[in-house]
Amino acid sequence: MPHHEFECSKVIPERKQHAVIKGKGEDLTSCLPKGYLNTIPGSISERGCAYCGAKHVIGTPMKDVIHISHGPVGCTYDTWQTKRYISDNDNYQLKYTFATDVKEKHIVFGAEKLLKQNILEAFKAFPKIKRMTIYQTCATALIGDDIDAIAQEVMDELPGVDIFVCNSPGFAGPSQSGGHHKINIAWINQKVGTLEPEITSDYVINYVGEYNIQGDQEVMTDFFKRMGIQVLSTFTGNGSYDDLRGMHRAHLNVLECARSAEYICDELRERYGIPRLDIDGFGFKALGDSLRKIGLFFGIEERAEAIIAEETARWQPELDWYKARLQGKKVCLWPGGSKLWHWANAIQEEMGVKVVSVYTKFGHQGDMEKGISRCGEGALAIDDPNELEGLEALEMLKPDVIFTGKRPGEMAKKVGVPYLNAHAYHNGPYKGYEGWVRFARDIYNAIYSPIHQLAMVDISKDAIPTDRGFVTRRMLSDKGLPEEITSSTVLSPYTGKFDSVSHLRTKTYPDFPRAADTAGDAEEIIAVVE
Amino acid sequence: MSVTAKQAKAAERKYQPIYTSNPLADCDPLTQERVGQLENYIMKHCLWQFNSRGWDRRKQNAGILGKTAQLLCGEPVDNPTPLEKCYWVDAVCLDRAYRELFPWITTLPADEIKALIKALHARLDWLTIDGSLNTELIVQNY
Repeated sequence: MPHHEFECSKVIPERKQHAVIKGKGEDLTSCLPKGYLNTIPGSISERGCAYCGAKHVIGTPMKDVIHISHGPVGCTYDTWQTKRYISDNDNYQLKYTFATDVKEKHIVFGAEKLLKQNILEAFKAFPKIKRMTIYQTCATALIGDDIDAIAQEVMDELPGVDIFVCNSPGFAGPSQSGGHHKINIAWINQKVGTLEPEITSDYVINYVGEYNIQGDQEVMTDFFKRMGIQVLSTFTGNGSYDDLRGMHRAHLNVLECARSAEYICDELRERYGIPRLDIDGFGFKALGDSLRKIGLFFGIEERAEAIIAEETARWQPELDWYKARLQGKKVCLWPGGSKLWHWANAIQEEMGVKVVSVYTKFGHQGDMEKGISRCGEGALAIDDPNELEGLEALEMLKPDVIFTGKRPGEMAKKVGVPYLNAHAYHNGPYKGYEGWVRFARDIYNAIYSPIHQLAMVDISKDAIPTDRGFVTRRMLSDKGLPEEITSSTVLSPYTGKFDSVSHLRTKTYPDFPRAADTAGDAEEIIAVVE
Repeated sequence: MSVTAKQAKAAERKYQPIYTSNPLADCDPLTQERVGQLENYIMKHCLWQFNSRGWDRRKQNAGILGKTAQLLCGEPVDNPTPLEKCYWVDAVCLDRAYRELFPWITTLPADEIKALIKALHARLDWLTIDGSLNTELIVQNY
């Protein structure tokens, strides 16, 4: 096993099992770090807790819901200064965050009364919102508050109100991934099947493991609607509480982030016989294959092909403009979980960069299997890294850019490595054809920003050249490129709008006749002929 | 679900090893090279082989590669259930990719294609299940 031991972690020898370098001829039978284990004491992890995984990752993107944390106010830290799962109802779930504000006295005397008072106040403050999710936290779990009982009391007192209880306190797993699991299972146990949805198409899907980061869900849903597919629910980005109660009526579960949402897909397959189809919304080839597969499943492949042809023709020249300028740039792909495998191969094949390292904060070994398979030789794979290991890896690998979260990202900037926000994006959405070009543009801007050279000048002692102006990104990126690239009239940098999402909210879609209608028409024609 | 049904499911999901070493180790170099190409495509571009449990991966590999072999041989494929249709969808994409990227496969007779996909299936089971270092594969629940 090609384990890698960080100098900084020699004092924590167990850490060696959590990093590998993929050598020549290595495969998953010889090269896989440990994963999804409790963080080793002494290693300052970058992980979130199980409450965070349940609420801040999966629960809160549901848009028409009062999301309330039963615990100290600090547990609600992550809201719209850190999260970017937008919604088409004016971002209600991001703008308003609720906590019961549990204090020491409640730990002593109990916080159930406080919870009920908070629930009633919240519904009174937002009378149009009739749905609520309540999230357990460490403090209230430890004192044994019966949230289910309080929720039932309120539902009895307020007809028309529906409440979901998520019992995933912070300590309920090694990382946020434990919370993903808990809320998946809680939702299918408590809510799926409790509402019958209206079916408006012959082709009905649940779009699962999609969180509408900067509009990803809306971009993908646009493709589905153009194919005449009804997106019954999205679990959970821009998703509606009541739509998600009707998940059991879909014909197909289309799964994007298997790390956070495969559980509900697997249970829907188990309990309702709905198949699970894993897709990739990132990258031209992967996205094309994904749309094609959904089209094949429903027998409407030609609709997928039409979209693929149109979108590729529109955006390929712009993607290629960036690809020509990103060749060989070294990338550390250090996201939380699924993006290490969503992106690892696609950015290498379609943008020309080289992934020199993957890491995952909360992924399981299964995520590392996918990520390592999609990386080339020499890639360093790290599970649950700590900050010192991250710094040591940057020093060793000298990447041109790092894709990660904002906390390790800011740390990377301090050592002169540009970073892109892999979780919330910089100028997303990154899904879809246009989104993939926006991602390429962000990578280009990060790598070639003149600020990196300017920042290295110490004005207190370095001489400042006054005989020349500032360089531009283009001056840096085009140096050494062949003439046919730099003066190409085909290739072009991104020409889309600043906001590539809002217009989708008012778009109209073709009205595809349903098979029942067509059959009815055919019967009428036959009757007339007869 | 009844207790008996639960027990039957647990038994079905209990890890049962098939390969104890790389099944391609004794194959001729040409087969190894060809399987290597087919395997590399799957590992770089597909996700179906990585469902999180070993028993689920076993079903996925058998379902999709079985239908891929049928498609490559020009045989009709039966999809009586939505789950079977889902396997078929991935098999169609794999069949098309193999024909496009590895045109040599279209020159092989049907029995050689089946033998090759059988070797690929064994290799994939080894990589993703029996030889994998992933300790979560033996978990029986999702």
